Amino acid sequence: MFIDIHVHPAFYEPINADENREELRHQELDIHKNGTAPLEHIFNQMRCAGLDKLCLLPEDYTSTVGCALVSNEEIRTLVDLAPDRFIGFASVDPSDPEAPDRLEEAFTRLKLKGLKLHPGRQHFMPGEERLEAIYQVCERYDKPILFHAGLSWEPDTFTRYCQPTAFEEVAEKHPKLRICLGHFAWPWVRETAMLMVKYPNVYADTGALYFDNAYEFYTQTFTKDIPVTWIDRSLRHQVMFGSNNPRFEQIRMADAITKIGLRDSTLELVKGLNAVEFLGGLD
Amino acid sequence: MQYVKTIHILTKVYNEFDVITPQVEAIVAESGVKNGMVTVLTKHTTTGVTVNEALECLESDIAVALSLFAPEDRPYSHARMLRDYGSTAGNPTGHLKALVTGSHCHFLIQDGKINRGGAQDVYFCEYDGPASRNILVIVEGE
Repeated sequence: MFIDIHVHPAFYEPINADENREELRHQELDIHKNGTAPLEHIFNQMRCAGLDKLCLLPEDYTSTVGCALVSNEEIRTLVDLAPDRFIGFASVDPSDPEAPDRLEEAFTRLKLKGLKLHPGRQHFMPGEERLEAIYQVCERYDKPILFHAGLSWEPDTFTRYCQPTAFEEVAEKHPKLRICLGHFAWPWVRETAMLMVKYPNVYADTGALYFDNAYEFYTQTFTKDIPVTWIDRSLRHQVMFGSNNPRFEQIRMADAITKIGLRDSTLELVKGLNAVEFLGGLD
Repeated sequence: MQYVKTIHILTKVYNEFDVITPQVEAIVAESGVKNGMVTVLTKHTTTGVTVNEALECLESDIAVALSLFAPEDRPYSHARMLRDYGSTAGNPTGHLKALVTGSHCHFLIQDGKINRGGAQDVYFCEYDGPASRNILVIVEGE
């Protein structure tokens, strides 16, 4: 089982019938010249990467952009088109007073499997009191949260909201809440490892590729910035493969993760088993 | 007159060679042009359009030759975040292979048909697939 835990489907063809909406997504995500992708192409990419499932992440930026760039309903639509391949997450805007109710609806009516939040873009500190109601909904329904962490290429993002230590209060106060620091919170990979070794409910995904090619960047990040033994020995149950596609190169990253020197049994965890645990099962 | 059509291909693997001669001939026929030229032009920079003999063995040899010319494991400069794209460039070998096969080909049209040699076929070459690709077929003449 090979799962990409971090995929943004903003340019999937079935949710881009409206050209204005597509253009808004290009501008607000700062991803260009990629066009829209028919699902057949997505499936071709998955086959080339060896991926079995993709975790699709929406973005609710209502308070700053005026709408969700990809809505929970659109995620449901995509999942229904390929339920054996897609796992759908929800998004809410923490500035919306109705966010907890909307999240509950996403978990119950839309049957979404987790929550994506972006502190840097949605301008909140993860430990803020106003987030508590959202965290409690996740705990009540046993759903994980995938946070954007570390550098974000999107406009209007501030990295101070995304440093690993900003998530420590959440990990400490909610030990049963599974949280993932997206992108391994690059460039703060040592700090992310620090949190993970202390808090077993903290996961991280590998969705970063800001310099060089996939193999070179993974080699630098996961064998030099931190020794590969840290993952292979201590964090092997908390690291998940993620590509952050379409920002980064899913196929080459899926290949690179196999070449950094992890044991086969660790690779199996990173490629899928940890994601299944994080998600609370695939049902 | 000028008659332009686009061939759309969803490529399925990283590198592939697709014979598109029948599609080009069909477009020439529907254009109504009896005497003129046809140009087949890819709209992408990690693909090629070339003319060669449509044999499985040659496709294999060409793929090997191109991979020797542009191996995957070299430290290429085209491996960095591109601001215009907001994404990482990771396809230098595709660009380099595209240099070799070129972006287009031309054929003479006589009596409404493409005048090509018996061993000549038109290939679309994918060097960074899978991808959604468009190839222009431009028919000009009378």
